[in-house]
Amino acid sequence: MKNLSLVLATVLVLVGCTKKDNAGSTPGTPSAGATSNAGGKLTNNELKIGITQEFENFNPVIQTMSATSYMQHMVNRPLVTINADGKWIPLLAKKIPTIENGAAKIVDKGGKKKLVAIWEILENANWGDGKPVICEDIIFSLKVASSPNVSVGEKETYTQIEKIEADPKNPKKCTFTYEKAKWDFYQLGTVWLLPSHLEEAVFKKFGALKEGYEKNSLYSKDPTNPGLYNGPYVLTELQLGDHVSFAPNTKFYGEAPKFKRIIVKLIPNSGTLEANLRSGTIDMISSLGLALDQALAFDKKVKGENLGYSVLFEPSATYEHIDLNLDNPILKDIRVRKALNYSINREELVNSLFEGKQNPAIHAVTPKDPWFTDDPTKVVIYKYSPREAERLLEEAGWKMGADGIRTKGEKRLSFTLMTTAGNKTRELVQVYLQNKWKQVGIEVVSRNEPARVFFGETTKKRKFDSMALFAWISSPENNPKSTFTTNNIPTAKNGWSGQNSMGWSNPKVDELLYSMDTVFEHAKRVEIIHKVLKYYTEDVPVLPLYYRSDIAVIPTQLKNFRLTGHQFPETNEVEKWTVE
Amino acid sequence: MLTFILRRIVQTLVVIVILSYVCFGLMTLMPGDPVELMISANPRISAEDVTRLREFYGLDQPLIKRYYTWISDISKGELGYSRTYRIPVTEMMGPALTATFILSITSLLFSLIIAIPLGIVCALKPNSKVDYIANLFSFAGISVPSFWLGIVLIIIFAVNLRWLPAGGYQTTGLAYENIFQELMDKAKYLILPMVSLSVQSIGRFSRFTRSAMLEAMRNDYIRTARAKGLSNRVVIFQHGFRNALIPLITIIAISFSSIFSGALITETLFAYPGVGRLIYSSIIGNDFNVAMVAFVVSVSAVLIMSLVSDILYGVVDPRISYK
Repeated sequence: MKNLSLVLATVLVLVGCTKKDNAGSTPGTPSAGATSNAGGKLTNNELKIGITQEFENFNPVIQTMSATSYMQHMVNRPLVTINADGKWIPLLAKKIPTIENGAAKIVDKGGKKKLVAIWEILENANWGDGKPVICEDIIFSLKVASSPNVSVGEKETYTQIEKIEADPKNPKKCTFTYEKAKWDFYQLGTVWLLPSHLEEAVFKKFGALKEGYEKNSLYSKDPTNPGLYNGPYVLTELQLGDHVSFAPNTKFYGEAPKFKRIIVKLIPNSGTLEANLRSGTIDMISSLGLALDQALAFDKKVKGENLGYSVLFEPSATYEHIDLNLDNPILKDIRVRKALNYSINREELVNSLFEGKQNPAIHAVTPKDPWFTDDPTKVVIYKYSPREAERLLEEAGWKMGADGIRTKGEKRLSFTLMTTAGNKTRELVQVYLQNKWKQVGIEVVSRNEPARVFFGETTKKRKFDSMALFAWISSPENNPKSTFTTNNIPTAKNGWSGQNSMGWSNPKVDELLYSMDTVFEHAKRVEIIHKVLKYYTEDVPVLPLYYRSDIAVIPTQLKNFRLTGHQFPETNEVEKWTVE
Repeated sequence: MLTFILRRIVQTLVVIVILSYVCFGLMTLMPGDPVELMISANPRISAEDVTRLREFYGLDQPLIKRYYTWISDISKGELGYSRTYRIPVTEMMGPALTATFILSITSLLFSLIIAIPLGIVCALKPNSKVDYIANLFSFAGISVPSFWLGIVLIIIFAVNLRWLPAGGYQTTGLAYENIFQELMDKAKYLILPMVSLSVQSIGRFSRFTRSAMLEAMRNDYIRTARAKGLSNRVVIFQHGFRNALIPLITIIAISFSSIFSGALITETLFAYPGVGRLIYSSIIGNDFNVAMVAFVVSVSAVLIMSLVSDILYGVVDPRISYK
């Protein structure tokens, strides 16, 4: 008994020693006696969100993870963003400058065409410590992002801005000079602002050292400093690998947020998300949570057991497809590629495997995108037709063999379909496709690899023999140069950069896509992209499968929650979320 | 004794350096790098960005050069910077190691408290009903997969009964009013992962204790002790159990060495922010600095505990000497 007491005392002391740094807790943090929503009715006091992906520190300029981006939109706002309807809207900016509204113009500087645009920051836009958000903050962010000592992911978004000048009379009025006159100059959704009044001193001191700024930034050293944030919430507690807490930012320029506290909790195993939800550990599951099969199963339970949740499915800008390796001698024949395409019954696939919660794909531009078209006069639509597939294969000389697989001389019509191992949805799709192709005499063998091998080696270096099934994550009005153009075919010479894993080379497509950068009229751009899609669907370098849906589980009481279906997450409107 | 310890410490250091190079090399051989992860999260990252970032992180350098840079930094006491979390490794590892230590040590103690008496009872009454039942549960404990057990525990105690939280480390964002409240809150989160981790160890330890005790109790000195009229308690614990301790020390020392390596499945299942999960995500994310530091800690723990068990053999059995 004495020994047992000793052991228990040791355990209690050890547990006590593990107190993590709660220095960031604000006066708004409820005490242990405060009510929790667990198992009870959700109120505007607190909302606990479950995510399955890891997050990093909150410095917006260097962040790269999707989970951090999800939370970044709660605490920081860029000048502009894409809303849930797929339209660019101003956030910190008063309006989006355009040639039409006169706030942007093309100028000639030293024989080069450049673009000058006036961006004006909202009068009441402030940092959490009350300091105004000014042009100087954008200028500073640009300086940090351009530094060779800071590891910024998407640098061109910043470096496309050659110069920013603040109006001496109005520190919120900024004149941007862009290096090139490109139509998408206003798409600054990933250009984040840093508070120069706090971070400039750090950059001056450590900016000359490699990674010196990011290691010493207040986002690393003092992440709960409210002055680092200009969004509807400020960060009050950050425990990497566990959770992040947020409280309303009283200095926010927009609508006051309704929830008094939001906690985003990391639950790395998606299989236990449902248990955490049902036990009250979390109140909702974010779009970075359930896989489709888990969501479909939970949706049935919600309806069957009348649970107080809604499972939301929103068509997204993610395109599931099969890249065909055009170096494969059999796949060089366009008739074979077309036959493969005609043999896929996409309607049946999405209805039988996804219960209609994801939409069949026809090409790389998703219905979320203003560039989307399903007009058969503009793109080739491959309706399921095993008869047409068989005709094409016969025409190409592939004759049906005794075992039901076509042959041409000694050659067998056989391919290898590769994808990420362990992805249940993709493995189901593989089986479905194998069966469909077998019906027309095409043999397809599955060979799956762990995601990091598949993406890190196989698709990156085009090591797949014939077919690779995966997704492209896009955003609305995104020029598909990195996936369609000849320059972006990964080779040893270009260091395996580029994402044209198919090896598709069409000079007309290259020309159209590179010319599009300087086309300022929306209608003309749409015309160009439709021409590109025409070539894409005619050449069949890729077999489109379906457009993925974003998924979230929310309590039925939660109002004003909208999934966006693109890279700018639902937290863009977090201040509107409320319980009625 | 001192010479023995010094010799073993030198051996340990050599082993750590050799294994760290092997581990570094193996990580380099894995396909993909942190830049690949950036591409998957941001469709707008260009080919130029990829080349620039690989250069920035030194991923374009040959293995030997990268290893040399890493080992030079380590020798200067600089553990580096996590590419994934973008904070210094020390800030990342400290809390994770502490969390894992708490989970592992409580689980180990809990297992020993149950397994050793159970093993002794079974050894003293072999082939009895108690022995059969204990054996049945021991084998069941050894055989049951921890991920399955974890899910079952969550469903029963968190979802259905709602007695315990499904996962986590503490009630998020709670401001504790006193230390007792904090202890109770954190202990509540520890129960399910601890039980999940312990079940297998209880089975294993009780089987080891049983067989070691059975062996010890068959010896002549036990008969002599009984003939001398010593009490049953003294015979069992001072003569029998002390001699049964040598094989037990080995297995417990090995278990102790894993207290800093973490329990990946349990930590992931219960969303417990321990080092096992951290090591896994750092390897998957090619976060070299975190993975290598975690590796050195794990290897050091194994080697140090192996040394400790060697020293303990001498304490338990005076016939063993160190030359």
